[in-house]
Amino acid sequence: MVPLSQIWTVASYVLSKKIKGEKRYPLVLMLEPLFRCNLACAGCGKIQYPDHILNRRLTPEQCWAAADECGAPIVSIAGGEPLVHKEIDRIVAGLIERKKYIYLCTNAILLRKRIDLFKPSKYLTFSIHLDGLKEEHDESVCREGVYETAVEGIKEAVKRGFRVTINSTLFDGANPQRVRTFFDEVMSLGIEGIMVSPGYSYQKAPDQEHFLQRNKTRELFQQILREKKKSWKFNLSPLFLEFLQGNVEYDCTPWGNPTYNVFGWQKPCYLLQDGYAKSFKELIETTPWEKYGFRSGNPKCANCMVHSGYEATAVNDTFGSWKGFVKTVKAALS
Amino acid sequence: MGEAKKSLTGESFVFGDDVQKRELLEAAFDYRGDVTLELASGEKLEGYLFNRQLDRTPYFVEMFVAGEATPRCIPVDQIIALHFSGKDAADGKSYEAWKSKKLKERQEESKKIESEMKRAGLLD
Ligand code: SF4
Repeated sequence: MVPLSQIWTVASYVLSKKIKGEKRYPLVLMLEPLFRCNLACAGCGKIQYPDHILNRRLTPEQCWAAADECGAPIVSIAGGEPLVHKEIDRIVAGLIERKKYIYLCTNAILLRKRIDLFKPSKYLTFSIHLDGLKEEHDESVCREGVYETAVEGIKEAVKRGFRVTINSTLFDGANPQRVRTFFDEVMSLGIEGIMVSPGYSYQKAPDQEHFLQRNKTRELFQQILREKKKSWKFNLSPLFLEFLQGNVEYDCTPWGNPTYNVFGWQKPCYLLQDGYAKSFKELIETTPWEKYGFRSGNPKCANCMVHSGYEATAVNDTFGSWKGFVKTVKAALS
Repeated sequence: MGEAKKSLTGESFVFGDDVQKRELLEAAFDYRGDVTLELASGEKLEGYLFNRQLDRTPYFVEMFVAGEATPRCIPVDQIIALHFSGKDAADGKSYEAWKSKKLKERQEESKKIESEMKRAGLLD
């Protein structure tokens, strides 16, 4: 389970923003300290750059400054593969000092080798990328044996007392029954919970064919989550899971998960690249937010239901009113 | 979506008018490889064009020139020609392309990437 201290931190953060009347505030900073990865997945649009860009790194100081600047209580360190960054331990330590809840997103290939760099902390979670059982995952990452390596990494991290979650992206053609078996298998490893999101065609992703369209997403998640097992724990808002099944309708909150990387503050979101701002303030003030999200009619957003866009909406709904809170409790108990 | 776009790799353009210039600089912003900008001063800059402001003044593009630590901001009115000089990093990397390869080719490619990564210290 997510520690109560984390739930409390997020709840009090959202409530304080609402009391102050702030309209656009971030919940999760998506920090990409590098784009270089030790995998080359066909579905990934994050690594398609010339070498001199892949070789660039954010310094720990730049990472901390971004976290201070935007103020989000949670930092998701993505990339690229963060464990490839030579100063990832310093980046993490500095964020923990700032009492940020960190999700270190990794494919876990280097996890066993680099785990000694970290100490278990309620602030640090390893969020391991697994897109399904062995066959599905190895195909998704275009390399044999990665699933097994990741599972070894998970076992080691769990054994050492780290918080561990699975971060899973489901693509078109996913078999609901296999996904259910996958959930059983990963929960049996002793992880804290599962994060799951439909894949989305990054504008730049070379693979545009296998991302789920909206209706298919709803169908798939209804099938997967029908008779949800008690043993499955999700590191997601219960209302986001309702949204994926088509039980509630939300629009995107793209400023909820701002992205900072070697180019600056990415406009408007983690998935789309419509340019960069030099500061978080500039990002918030100069991005034409009304042009993004499902209801905007922007074709680039038409089929997007990813958690980096819609989870913040669900969280705001939960803490924004008693009605939202009651809805969340009901969804959590269902 | 899904339509195979013709790669711009190797194409060169001297701008006819401002509309075409804007469209081409937008294409350069979308391009996943290095481009070369020819400036009115005669200077040629090769690098990755990662940002642009073409819808309001001041009009500019931003580029990471290989080997330079900080990005350059280049006013649009100084750019007279554009060359898609670098390889498009997204070209030919589709999932379909991967699947359509014979198993042996996929295994060979996988091994090649693996040994490159081992050399770079990114894998055990
Ligand atoms: S719907 Fe939101 S998260 Fe999805 S692509 Fe559009 S702005 Fe980004």
